[in-house]
Amino acid sequence: MKETRLKILQYITGIGLFFFAGTHLIVSHLSSGEPASWESVSDRAASAGWLTLYLLLLTFGLYHGLHGLRTIILEFSFPNYAVRVLDWALVVIGIAIFGYAAYIPISAF
Amino acid sequence: MQELTFKVQRYTPGQDKEPYLQEFTIPFTEGMTVLDGLIYIKEKVDNTLSFRSSCRMGICGSCGVLVNNFPMLACHTPVEELKTDRIEVKSLPNFPIIRDLVASLDLLFEKHKSIKPYIISSDIREAEEPTAEYVQSREELESYVQFAYCVKCGLCMAACPTVATDALFLGPQPLGQVYRYCTDRRDMGAKERFHEADSPHGVWLCHLAGACSEACPKGVDPALAIQLLKRAMVFDSMRLAKKRQPVTLAHLPVESKPKIEVPEFTVK
Repeated sequence: MKETRLKILQYITGIGLFFFAGTHLIVSHLSSGEPASWESVSDRAASAGWLTLYLLLLTFGLYHGLHGLRTIILEFSFPNYAVRVLDWALVVIGIAIFGYAAYIPISAF
Repeated sequence: MQELTFKVQRYTPGQDKEPYLQEFTIPFTEGMTVLDGLIYIKEKVDNTLSFRSSCRMGICGSCGVLVNNFPMLACHTPVEELKTDRIEVKSLPNFPIIRDLVASLDLLFEKHKSIKPYIISSDIREAEEPTAEYVQSREELESYVQFAYCVKCGLCMAACPTVATDALFLGPQPLGQVYRYCTDRRDMGAKERFHEADSPHGVWLCHLAGACSEACPKGVDPALAIQLLKRAMVFDSMRLAKKRQPVTLAHLPVESKPKIEVPEFTVK
């Protein structure tokens, strides 16, 4: 049930993104005060809760985006061996982006 | 409407570079179908025209063609319903053309065969040498009977935009039949069929355009079957599916009622 499991993860990450990205947007753009000031950003960067939220947002966003990209690419009638190559390419791209993007909040913590 | 103009696709592989349309003007008769028009052309105008037909009553599914850019059974389409006297008839898209209006449905049958379209019983001996009948409630029958009306005409495959872009996509007909057999309580082959439908060219490639259900002349609604199949596969993958009990057998009574006497033949 490989494709089904990938699809279930797509749904779960979609729901997760709604909450995590929602929290991020509310705090960064809609809340009162100065959420974008140096002190506020510094406080959030030092918080374990915010670090967890941003890492989860990154993971969910990456999976959701890359799986969506895979679905679009698969429309072009690839044979099964090409699908495997595509899968591994997306895994490598995902890990590389995660490593680079996670380095910033982790190093700032 | 006194006369009809039929623009019919002609193509002979090896002779023609690509399909072209030939125009025929034929008389209109009340109640005539598109197939009646094609038969008239073949019998009275041009006997080289090739098309496929058999039962002429929407049962065999042989005469699937593209009528005014919509896949239809030629025998099931009254000319009056088209509301025009210009009728364009082409072979079914998404299938290679054998000649004129005859499309090769090999791809459909290969895909259909791949999903094992038959009851896979847990008791092989009972399946091969039945000793009793399977008990099936009305609700159990109604859960799949709509999808069992499929006549394998290929109209849904011709209408499907995903089949048009991905020739490897299983397509609405086989996927609908995966659901039909997996819902049948007599069947124990869901795992095997789910495996086939779970490929990168399987059930998740369906965009739910709904063109298959619109085209189906038997009201099968393959799009509904595919959506229900997706749900069944998600439940199965998350181990939330209800465990199905093997179907019960009803042994025939030892003593049967006396047979009704058949009247003798009047002609001997």
